[in-house]
Order: sequence, then structure tokens, then C-alpha cells
Amino acid sequence: MSDNRLTLALLRLAPLLLFVVIVVAFGLLNERFLSFGNFRNIVIQAAPIAILAIGMTFVLLIAEIDLSVGAVMYVGASLVAIYLEPATGFGFTDPNLWWPLSLAVFVATGMIVGAVHGLVVTSLGIASFIATLASLFMLRGLAMFLSNTRTLQFSREIKDINRWEIFQIVPMADRAYGVPVAILILLIVFFSGWLVLRHTAFGRQIHAVGEDREAAKKAGLAVKGIVFACFVICGFCAGVGGFVAATQQGAVGPNFGLQVEFQVIAAAVLGGVSLFGGRGSVWGPVFGAILIRTTIAGLTFVNADPYIYPLVTAAIIFLAVAVDGLRTRMIERMSRRMIRPLEAG
Amino acid sequence: MSEARPLLSVSGLAKSFFGVRVLHGVDFDVFPGEALGLVGENGSGKSTCVNIIGGVLKPDAGEMSLNGAPYHPLSPKGAASAGIAFIHQELNLFGNLSIEENLFIERLPKHRMLPLIDRRAVRARAVQLLREVELDLPPTTPVARLSQGERQLIEIAKAISMNAKVVIFDEPTTSLTRHEVDRLFTIIARLKARGIGMIYISHALDDVMAVCERITVLRDGAVLGGGPRDEFSLARIISLMVGRAIDTIYPERMVPPRADPVLRVEGLAQPGVAKDITFDIKEGEVVGLGGLMGSGRSELARMIFGLDAFSRGRIIVGDKVLANPTPREAIDAGMAFLTEDRRGEGLLMDFSIAENTILAALGRFARAAGMLEWRKVVTESKTMAGRVHLSTDRVVETRAKHLSGGNQQKIVIGKWLMRMPKLFILDEPTRGIDVGAKQEVYRIINALVEAGSAVLLISSEIEELMGLSDRILTIYRGELTGSFARAAFDREILMGAVTRPPRAEAG
Amino acid sequence: MVPDAGRQARRGGFAGRLVRSEYFVLLLCALYALAAYPFVPVLFSAEVAGNMIADMSPLLIVAVGQTFVLVIAGIDLSITAVIALSAVVGASIMTQAGGYLPGNGGVLPAILAMLGVGGAVGLLNGLSVTRLNMPPFLVTLATRMFFAGLAIWYTTFHTTSSSIADLPPLFTGLYDFVVLTLPIGESVLTLPLLPVLIAVIVVIGAHVTLSRTMLGRWIYAVGANRRTARVSGIPVESTIILAFTICGVCAALTGILMSSRLQTGSPILGENVLLDVIGAVVIGGTSLFGGKGKIVWTLSGVLFLVLLDTTLKLLGASLFLIFIIKGAVILAAATLDTLRNRIFVEH
Repeated sequence: MSDNRLTLALLRLAPLLLFVVIVVAFGLLNERFLSFGNFRNIVIQAAPIAILAIGMTFVLLIAEIDLSVGAVMYVGASLVAIYLEPATGFGFTDPNLWWPLSLAVFVATGMIVGAVHGLVVTSLGIASFIATLASLFMLRGLAMFLSNTRTLQFSREIKDINRWEIFQIVPMADRAYGVPVAILILLIVFFSGWLVLRHTAFGRQIHAVGEDREAAKKAGLAVKGIVFACFVICGFCAGVGGFVAATQQGAVGPNFGLQVEFQVIAAAVLGGVSLFGGRGSVWGPVFGAILIRTTIAGLTFVNADPYIYPLVTAAIIFLAVAVDGLRTRMIERMSRRMIRPLEAG
Repeated sequence: MSEARPLLSVSGLAKSFFGVRVLHGVDFDVFPGEALGLVGENGSGKSTCVNIIGGVLKPDAGEMSLNGAPYHPLSPKGAASAGIAFIHQELNLFGNLSIEENLFIERLPKHRMLPLIDRRAVRARAVQLLREVELDLPPTTPVARLSQGERQLIEIAKAISMNAKVVIFDEPTTSLTRHEVDRLFTIIARLKARGIGMIYISHALDDVMAVCERITVLRDGAVLGGGPRDEFSLARIISLMVGRAIDTIYPERMVPPRADPVLRVEGLAQPGVAKDITFDIKEGEVVGLGGLMGSGRSELARMIFGLDAFSRGRIIVGDKVLANPTPREAIDAGMAFLTEDRRGEGLLMDFSIAENTILAALGRFARAAGMLEWRKVVTESKTMAGRVHLSTDRVVETRAKHLSGGNQQKIVIGKWLMRMPKLFILDEPTRGIDVGAKQEVYRIINALVEAGSAVLLISSEIEELMGLSDRILTIYRGELTGSFARAAFDREILMGAVTRPPRAEAG
Repeated sequence: MVPDAGRQARRGGFAGRLVRSEYFVLLLCALYALAAYPFVPVLFSAEVAGNMIADMSPLLIVAVGQTFVLVIAGIDLSITAVIALSAVVGASIMTQAGGYLPGNGGVLPAILAMLGVGGAVGLLNGLSVTRLNMPPFLVTLATRMFFAGLAIWYTTFHTTSSSIADLPPLFTGLYDFVVLTLPIGESVLTLPLLPVLIAVIVVIGAHVTLSRTMLGRWIYAVGANRRTARVSGIPVESTIILAFTICGVCAALTGILMSSRLQTGSPILGENVLLDVIGAVVIGGTSLFGGKGKIVWTLSGVLFLVLLDTTLKLLGASLFLIFIIKGAVILAAATLDTLRNRIFVEH
């Protein structure tokens, strides 16, 4: 029995152990890998996916899915690049206004799309997989229409945000490190997501809806409202993540956000979020995104062939999912062994 | 005591489904501090009654009043806020949340300043409620870790926290251990002391007699008798419920069992599930397996049929030894298994009668390259529909989900009869089906047995076991505790055998 | 007695029967074509019809494979990776620029290897789902990433350009091996017979398998209710593995046809097919939750999508407009499906 518990615990911690192994292995291969600056870069690079994955977690928690997040990023980026461009845009001349405006555009795009998904799923009863697949098509089409499939350059003022740092409090040998904007935004999203999910009635009700939707209805929860809100939150995060990604890339082509939904779902799943609802936290997706980024960074450090990056990432995801599957099966088997000791006490 | 004003009063309640009346003017009263036992066979209208009271269904006619005021719930939520708590058989809890979160999930108290949960208030209320239901667990325990009985206490605690005036219990004891049942009854007594009224639905008539002050017997949607418990005896309740003496329900079998064993189970064991189980079943014999819910009776059947693994022992069907069977091997050896969960494991609900009927005997309809002879499928399904007295012979057009429980069960039986099983394991074959269908099921079983097949019958109803079996085995906590020949059948002794550990252990 | 068969919904009379019919989407196709005719009269010309049939074939084959997986309540996202990987593996064997078996002699081994790639990936997917208890969505998501990456990586060992070219004439000629040229009126029907023939064989084979065979019953039973299937003695795991393998082989077949048509083995071949495939199958009415789906439906769905594509292109619609309309059509199809279930079939 205790053997089983140990195995279960090990399986549960497998992704974390994997992370440690990766860090140690790459650290041994190249000690610069363990530097503070490198980890800071890893987190910066992981931030967009992590933010999107936090939003995805809300949707996965209620056993729904959103395949459109990558397309939302592209639509947001196209809108910003076209309408906030100094030459062609609405003529906001004060450059200080540009980044808050573009963030607002991204977020509004995401929330509107999320609201539409929420309505379609709750009122028409269409499976979210199909509804969001359809909007993936439509939104990418819309973004191509907006951008005319050109590569769009962002104005300097927006790109520069990426270099901003606040609280320059960590003095290191070469320079004073602050908290970069990407990490700051990630922290804010993470912390809010954590508060909502753990410490508000709404957050706990999300877990209830995901565990058993029928029971939630019977208990008098506003299930439709909760489902709707989760899609809006996912859209919100898609907008914010899109903003961060756009500032990092500086320019967006027709491939912006393409198939990001798969990376995002992978990050969430790596972090232990279940596709079947009811199980997951905001730690998971952030961890998952960082794990993927760390692996890629490590491969870069050891000068691995860039073509094997996706292979390694995919293998890690496969491994994590397989471990989770085995663990679920073990739990099922163990829960079967309840009959005899049931009354033993 | 009964001079008090009724807490909940129901009169003239009527309800029809699809033009068929299931309730014909039902009346009863629930008094404060008392439990009303609502008894009747499946399909007698008990569930419809309490579903109306609980706001799940709307009555076609009839009046209800709660505390003297007219009561017309529009939804389960409305019923709850009026003070009706409904504790369903399938509990309405969320395994991924803690006890305290489950208690208050739809009204978690908010912090004074922040839009966050006031954890301290939740904790304090939860601790108090848990004390009232005698559950000594930290309120932060995830519900997934609780036993069925503990979960039920959470539901009761929730009812208390909503200031329920009337609590409806629907079959509360079926999945509880005896110890848990005793605790439940203590708490019910405490609820009574607080002036809460209760409606108690159960097939376990002993429990009803022990808990309830009043009893109302329903049959075919009408009240056949009601009044204080003292006016009822067990025999009277049963004869009111059934409408005739018990022994006429179970048809006689003409052919006695033969000598050759069809099934031999030798030393079957699985840690935590079964301990050293050995028995055999002969041709033409019905062996009943009696045990409480959770006694390991279904698990034993599942292991014999190869659905669950076992660590030691072997199973011999005819001359085939199955050391590690799969359902496929078990079926090939001549077994059939009607599982407890008809919808989840017996049928493809969205599929037609024919598609369901052929499922276990596909090979019979296959020609070269696995091509099915569809015409043969249709004719044989029709024949089978006739043989099991299905209500329709539109076997291609009718889907399983559109049939009543009894007819669905007949499809599952027909599916297995297609294979002419040597051994038919029936796990609760008559649960949730009406009396007429029950009798037909009994007749089908008898015809099969008279043709030389053997049956292992699992049932919660001792009467059913006694009426059909040639021999009854009793199981307790995964261990066989007795074997009784037909001549030695005795309700009291059997009840004792299923509720007590084997003598050696009891010490 | 509880009312039984009478309750089985028979609502809606003629309209109801029409909407419930197997051929509902096919009917929509016809209506759509008629409605589009005034705007694009060439739609009904032999030339356009021939092109449409040719366009349909590869998509149809991979969609048929996907139908098997969807019916057992799975999903296969890895089909695009299979198409790409089989294309480059096949090309690397037979390419005249340094292949393992260059020239026409390498064509048969290459084709077998391509089918083998599809079967192997399908088998891996199936085994992961059954033996490792992994959800199909995640398994195939991971294998999709892995094998798509592998296809690109593999290509770098065989060529410095983005795809493996110089395929032997026997292979590149496969697609146009026999071309039916039939003047009808003023336009000419040009139909590459081989791909059409393969598609027809796949469709008929799949249709017969699903609707007429024991394996078909297994597949539907496993998709509708895995536990019931298991209790009824159906080899659930093998059925699931087989469905995934069939899907992989179908995708590889599509890879063969597509690379023969393009005359090159590209690692990004079929990159955008996934959404079309799932879209087409959903438009046809196959359920994503298993147990419900037919090859006729898939055929109708693919036809509808190709019809849509063709008319929009003929109308000069831009790529983005086509995307928007495709998305809208998928959404409309899903809405229609839930509505017709709600109104005509249930209670």
C-alpha cells in the first residue's frame, strides 16, 4: 500500500522532477545556464504563453476549451498596428498614450471574442471545441483582412515597452536588474488569477461547475454565467498575452499566433490542468510554460540543432501526459481496494 | 403529539407523464419532529411525489402547504429557500472541493471589505455544523476523500445550515455500512428533536419501521394506507405495497437442479476485495448471492466475469479453466453478465433495439470478412423481442433510450440470451423496474434455468433471493459467510448472515 | 404501462424527415450550388466539376480516416504531421538527388514506407490512448508536434532546400497516370482517374466497414459506450488501436497523393488540412463525442467545403474571406445540428 502511495507521489511530482533534471543537466553542460540573467530571460520568453495558459486554465477548469486564443492575438495585433500607427491611425499624437491604448485594444478584442464564445456555448449549446474552432477560422480571416497579410511593424514606442523595467532593486555584477514589463504583467495576471480561483466564491464555483455541471445546477449555481465569465477571462488573458508577445516581437506577420493554442494547452496540461474539468491551478500553466522555455533555452545553450526543439518539447509533453494517465489509472485501481478495510476500524 | 399542526401538508397531488397518470390524488402530512416513511414498490410514485415537493417537477393538480402557508415551489432552488432540503440518492457534492466549500458553495460569505471569501466565517460555521452531524474531520478535507456515509452527513449538515424545515431522504441507507446507518439514525433523531420534519423513502422496511413515526404506503400512484407506525406490521406494509401475498410473485420451477457443476470458483482472492471464495453452481440451479451494498457481491461477479482482476484463485466454467479471464474469454466459455448499471454498462442508449440485441453475439451474424447479415439481424432481434416480451417489435426504429426501465432490462437480457449462456450472472436484475416487468424477468430466468443453464443472482431484496434461488450464499466484506439450501431459507437468519462478520472473526 | 415506442419522436412530418435524413447535408450542397449558380455559372461546367472532384480526393481520404477516430470518441490532430512526415520519408527514399533507392525502382518501397509511417504513427497514438490511458486530444497533440518537427528535421539531412525534389517520373506521374478527358458541351472534363479511384475505393471500403461489418459494430459500440462494449465482449483496446491506425494510413495515403501532385516531398505538406478535415467532418454531422458518424456524412461535409472553396475562389474572394466564411459555415453547421436534434429528434 505505502509503495503505491510513494509511486503516486512520484508520478504526481514527475513534471517537477523533470524540470529539476533538465536544469541540472543543462547546468552541468554549461554553467552559464544557471545564471540569474538566463532564468530572467527564460521567464520573459515564457511570459506570453504563461499568460495565455492562465486564461486557458479557467476554460479547461469548466471542461471547455478555447482554440481561438492564437487568432485573438493576431486580430489584436492587426488592430493595434493599423489603427495606432502614427501615420495611418486615429492620430493619437501623444506617444505616451500608445501603449495603454494598444493594451486596451488587445484586451477588448479578447474579451469581446470571449463573450461571443460564452454566449454561443451557453445559449446555443454548441461544443466549445467546434465553436472556438470556427472562430479560429473567422478571426484569422479577419486579421488577414485587416492586415492584408502584410508584416506589420509596431511603432517604436510600443516596442520599447519591452525594455522597460521597474523596481531596479536587484544589483548584479554587470548592472542593476529590475522587473521587466513582461514579468510584471505575468505576475499581475498570475496573482489575480490565483486570488480569483482560490479565494473568491466565483473561483470555487468554477471548480464546482468543472467537477459536476449537473450537480452545480442542482445546487443553484449560476452555471451559465460562470461558463460565460470563464470564456471572457480566457479572452482577456489572450489579449494581454498577445500584447506582451507583440511588444516582444516588434512586428507581426501572418504567422503571428499561429497554432499558439496548442502550445498554450500543452503548457496548462504540463502543469497538471485536466482537460476534463475540475482540476488545475494557476501555478500549473506558469510552470508548464517555463518548463518548455527552459528546455528550449537549454538546447540553445548547448548549441543543439534548432530543428530538434519541437521534438524535445513534444516528447516532454507526451511524457507528462503519459505519467498523468498512469497516475489516474493507479488511483482508479487503488480506489477499488476499499471494500474490505472499509469497516475494519 | 399528533395534535400538532402539520408542517408540510400535501393533498390531491396528481401528475401525468405523456398522458399516463402516475399520481392519482396523493395526500399525506408531515408533522414537526416526526419522520414520515413513504414506502411503495418502484414505480409506485414515491419519487414523483418528493420531486414535486422538492420543486423538480410541477404537479398537474393538488395543493401543498408549508407551515400553514400555500407552498408552490417553482424550482429546486425555490424549494430550498422555502425550507425543503432534498438529500438525493446520488449525492450532490463536489469531490474537488473541501467540506466547508461544499457546505456553502452557492452562498460563500464574502469578506467585509474585499470581494474575497471570508474564510474565518466559513471555517467557524463549518466546524459547528460538523459537530452537529458528529463528523470529526477538519473542514478543509477534500470531499473526494470521504466515504459515502460521510458525504451524506455533509448533505445533512448542509440541510441544517439552510434552516431546512423538512428534509427529504431518498434511499439514504443503500450505500452505507451498518455503522454508518446507526450514526445516520442518531442524527435523524437529533433533527427530530429540533422540530424538523422528514420524509423518508426506503426499500429497507426495517429501517423505515425503526425511524419513522408515520407511514404512508403508495401503490400505482395512490395512497393505500397511512397512519402511525404502530398500526403497521411489516407483513401488512408488504401486502399493501404488492397488492397480493409475496409467494405468488415468484413462479414455480418444474425442473430440479442437476448434478454437474457449470461454474466452480476456487480460492478466489484479491486484497481488499475478496478473501478465499470457493463455491460452485450446478446446471439448472439458481444460486442467490445475498449481501449488503458494498459487501463485495458485485465485485465478486465482476471478477468471475473478467471485468476486474484478482490475485489468486481460478474460475472453471464447464471444462474450461480461466486463470486470468477477460470478458471475452468469459463469454466464450459460456458466461453472460447483466450488470447492476443498466444504462452505463448494459446498453448503448442511443442505439436501436436490434443493434443492442446483437452486440454480444456478433459472430453469429457475420459471414466472410466480417460482413453482417442484416436481414438475419432483424429477424432474430424480432424473435428475441418476442421471447422477452418487449413492448414493441420495431427493433430497428426504436432506440433503447426511448423505452421504459423494464423494457430496457429485457433488451439486456435478450442480448445475452442470444448466446444461450451456460451461466447467467444477474446483478440486481429487477432494480428500478415495475412489478409486471419484474415477473416477466422472473419467468425468463426460470425458462432459461429449466433449459439447463445456471444463474448467479445478486439482489438487495431478500424476498427476491428467497423466491427464486435454489441456494443462497451470503457475503460480508468480501467473504462468504454462509450457504443456505432452499429448505433452510429464513428471512431473519439471512438478514443476520449478510450483516454480520463470519463467526471466526466475530470472536 | 409506460408509453414506449410511441414516445419515440416522429415529429415534423415531411420537413422533419428531410432534416433528419442521412442526405440532409448533401441536399444543402445541392441547394447551395443552385443558389450560387446565377453568380458563378461556370460552377456547373465540366471543367470546374472535374477540378472539384480532383481537389476533393486527398481531403476526402484523410477525412474518412478522421471519421473512424471520431466515432470511437477520439480525435486525431496528428494527421497533418503524418502527411508531412510520410511525404518526406517517401521522397528521401526515391528522390533522384541522392535517395536511398533513387529512380522508378524506389517508388514501390517508398510508397510502402509512407503507408508504414502513417500506420506506425496511428499505432503509436492508439497504443498511447489504450495502454497509457492518455486522452486522445493530448496524445495526438504531442505526436503532431513531434512528427511535424521530425519531418522538418529529417528534411535537413536530405536536402539544403525546403523540400525534397527530383522525385522519379513514375511517382510524379501517378497523380496524372490516367487522365480522363471528356469534352462536354463547350468545356472539357479533365479528371485524374487514379486519385479519384483511390478515394472512391477508400470511401466505399470505409462505408462498408462501418455500416455492414462486425468491426463497424465494434467501432460504434466502443464510441457510444466503452463500458457496455467491454462487458459485451468487444475487444475495446484493439478496436481503438485499429481506428487510430486506419486514420494514420489514410493520412499517409493523402500524403502520397499530395506529394505526387506537387512532385515534391515537403515537410510542411498538408499543414493547413487539419482544420478543413475537422470542419468537414463536423459539417457532415459526425459527433465529437463518439458513437455517431457516417462516411456518407463525411462525404457530404467534404463536398460542401470544397464546393464552398471553389465558388468563393471563382468569385474572386480573398483568402481571408474564405477563412471567415468557412468558420461561419462550421458554426452554422454545428448550430443547425444542435437545433435539428432539439426540434426534430428528441422528445
